[in-house]
Amino acid sequence: MEAITQNGTAVAEEDLVASEYLTFTLGSEEYAIDILKVQEIRGYEQPTLIANAPAFIKGVINLRGIIVPIVDLRIKFNLGKIEYTPFTVVIILNIAGRVIGAVVDSVSDVMSLNRSQIRPAPDFSGSFDTKYILGLASQDARMMIVTDIERLMSSADMELIDSATE
Amino acid sequence: MAIDMSQFYQVFFDESAEHLAAMEGLLLDLDIDNPDSEQLNAIFRAAHSIKGSAGTFGFTDLAETTHILENLLDRIRKQELGLRADMVDAFLECGDLLRGMLEAHQGRGEAVDPQSVASICARLRELSTDLPPDLAQEGGKAVAEGVAAPSVDKRVFDIQFVPTEVSAKGDGVTNLLDELKSLGQLEILSQPDADIHSVGYWQVRLISDLGQEAFADQIDFIAENGAWRVVEGKLSVGEPDPAFGFFDDSPGTPDDDQGYGFFAPLDPSPIVENAAASEQAGDEGYGFFEPLPATNVPESMPSVGADDEGDGYGFFAPLSTAEKMPEVLEEGDGFGFFVPVSPPAVSRVPATQIPSLIAEIDSPLPAVVPEKSPVESRAPAAKAAGPAVAAGESSIRVSIEKVDQLINLVGELVITQAMLLQTATQMQESAPERLVNGLAQLERNTRDLQESVMSIRMMPISFVFSRFPRVVRDLSGKLGKQVELKTSGETTELDKSLIERIADPLTHLIRNSLDHGIELPENRIAAGKSPIGTITLKAYHQGGNIVIEVGDDGAGLPRNKILAKARERGFQVSDQMTDSEVFNLIFEAGFSTAEQVTDVSGRGVGMDVVRRNIQSMGGRVEIESMLGVGTRMTVRLPLTLAILDGMSIALGDQTYILPLSYVIESFQPRMGDIKTLSNQARVIQVRGEYLPVVVLHELFNIKPSANDFTQGIMVVIDADGVKAALFVDALVGQHQVVIKSLEANYRRVQGISGATIMGDGHVALILDVSAIAGMAKTSMHKAA
Repeated sequence: MEAITQNGTAVAEEDLVASEYLTFTLGSEEYAIDILKVQEIRGYEQPTLIANAPAFIKGVINLRGIIVPIVDLRIKFNLGKIEYTPFTVVIILNIAGRVIGAVVDSVSDVMSLNRSQIRPAPDFSGSFDTKYILGLASQDARMMIVTDIERLMSSADMELIDSATE
Repeated sequence: MAIDMSQFYQVFFDESAEHLAAMEGLLLDLDIDNPDSEQLNAIFRAAHSIKGSAGTFGFTDLAETTHILENLLDRIRKQELGLRADMVDAFLECGDLLRGMLEAHQGRGEAVDPQSVASICARLRELSTDLPPDLAQEGGKAVAEGVAAPSVDKRVFDIQFVPTEVSAKGDGVTNLLDELKSLGQLEILSQPDADIHSVGYWQVRLISDLGQEAFADQIDFIAENGAWRVVEGKLSVGEPDPAFGFFDDSPGTPDDDQGYGFFAPLDPSPIVENAAASEQAGDEGYGFFEPLPATNVPESMPSVGADDEGDGYGFFAPLSTAEKMPEVLEEGDGFGFFVPVSPPAVSRVPATQIPSLIAEIDSPLPAVVPEKSPVESRAPAAKAAGPAVAAGESSIRVSIEKVDQLINLVGELVITQAMLLQTATQMQESAPERLVNGLAQLERNTRDLQESVMSIRMMPISFVFSRFPRVVRDLSGKLGKQVELKTSGETTELDKSLIERIADPLTHLIRNSLDHGIELPENRIAAGKSPIGTITLKAYHQGGNIVIEVGDDGAGLPRNKILAKARERGFQVSDQMTDSEVFNLIFEAGFSTAEQVTDVSGRGVGMDVVRRNIQSMGGRVEIESMLGVGTRMTVRLPLTLAILDGMSIALGDQTYILPLSYVIESFQPRMGDIKTLSNQARVIQVRGEYLPVVVLHELFNIKPSANDFTQGIMVVIDADGVKAALFVDALVGQHQVVIKSLEANYRRVQGISGATIMGDGHVALILDVSAIAGMAKTSMHKAA
């Protein structure tokens, strides 16, 4: 997928194959992630602190008997107002056999995007490394950042996995 | 062992009954014409297990009878004796008697008639001596050759084994094959399938000038308990060795015999014909079957042949099957006796017929036990119902997954219950009394439910430890050493799956300690030690780990020798390496400092397998050793599931669990109790000892509610002899908690060994006391 979008070449047949994406907002930005990585969406509950963990790792919660770490993406990327209300949303992700919760501002909707709708992102520098961005998608007036959530969450940056690859 | 065995009686009864049921099922399933080696081994193991535990628990009558049974089974398993229908009869009968004995021991039913016991024992003995004379000679000769004349130029070994799942999934089998290749010419005759990692039956042939003791241990390590054997023959190309006729790829002709042979009491004529045929063929490989039709069958099968009802055992000789047998077997791999795949048509026919045939017969064992003992009357019913029901009597096997699911669900239930209770408490006066009472009842019930569910998977480690006194005794006798085995922590509970998998590596470590660690008595006296060496075996919980220690007070590991050997073998080493790095070299494949290779150890295979096996369980091995003082191998296994007695402590708004086994005492410190060392490290005097103070909120960067030492509580902890005083806000309570892995979805956290879920649904982290004590120690060192 990456190769195609980055080259800008689009094969007609593949264009028609649409995947579903879950979109959520962090501050004023809208992100889209592969919905197949999403296990469920739930409200925020106070997690148990983990000693000496980075600030964006809020702690761990009990998700039906499984211990799940909670990452606040707003803190990680310095976006949005960091407050925890009953409406704060946690997306429970299923990534590389692990279950991880990500705190976001809000979840917008589920949309299908086909490959031609995802355009390569320009190079830019910022806290959000472009290597985690698959591309940009637009629909109506909105622009969504299509994110490789698996790569992001399993990266060394997130400090979630002992032996992160990058 | 000084522990009270009676507490394990029930376990023994259950297990033995299960083994008996399994044995019966296997016996009934067994295709006599073409017995599967795996099934034979399984039957043998069942008998062996019963014998072993009966001996351990002092039920001598059971042990003696099973011993005789086991002897016969062993000979059949080793192919010294052909399996015959009358043997199966005897086995089944013996199984019934054993069940009767078991029940009598449990206080149910009447005592078993000693006469019937004696008669079955006599019969089993007779069966085990009753073997064709020429085979006995040949077999004996072959064995004698193997033992007495090890220098016969090239020797051929037919090796059969079934690897354990662990070794098959890992590199066990690959390593073994490589090792065998290095010994000589290796030919793989059969393997489960193309994938080297699948569990199944292997048959390989090795042509080597070494003895079988050169590789037997390695096979033993790889193979499922006892599911291996090595048959040795001389290298004689073209001409199959007489005694081992079955294993050679000779065409299927000898197998024709098996098709009919001993199992056709209905019509004796085919037997005679066959005997004639086999004699005509003139192949010595037939030796096995020759005498059977002529002499043995009529004599040894009267109970079946003479009795009309006995004909119901026709599943041993349905003529239609007998007719089909030769064709299929001819297609087979020519392994005759051991054809591992069940030939589609043949084996299925008798197997399905068994239950129905048996069901038709009122009393399948009429001739043998005339007395109407309770066992006897029970037997037909159990038989008719078939093996499935028999196995279901005492216990059932459930997949671990299902149990885990159950445990998780019960955990959820407990949390929901706690939530309901809390809501009801908040309602105070307005809550109807019936609701409050109901909730109280629910609380009790859920607690009971949780406890029983938790206990499903756990077993005391004594199940593994109990086999070692014997290992040590046998081996020390063999090596001329005097060794005493001390065990502690047998009641430490660990997961059943771990119990099964830890036995082999532990055996290896103990053998290693015995062979390399403990010195000969004269050397020990010369070194000023007691001539009797000690091996200690210890198990305990430590944080989220099970720790099993194998220690000896032997010679210790020679650092220089290991380094020299490592250089010799081309490892990258330097003198600057730490002791533990050097000691870890002994886990490298092919590494051994033993000057002499013994049949116990010294070939450098084993320790690497030990480490691999332990790592595959997610554990690790550590070595501590001091030259002349001893060596200690520590195996740490993680717990996916274990119950821990914990003390919950409060720290700010957080709750942590402190494993209770580390806690010695707690007290409220007074102002001035705490002294500083070079104004950094703090110590506190407790009962005349200065202990380092670990301030947990500083360590964890948490805002405490007790800022002052006088407001909180000091908990004295002892981790591996390192004592420290842990300062916390408050002690909350004592719980049994289920250890959950933090690493499953997150990573290791310094000072935390795991997590658990509290009654209110929140996660509480379990403190890794040894790491915390270690931190205290390093900070002391820095300050000092």
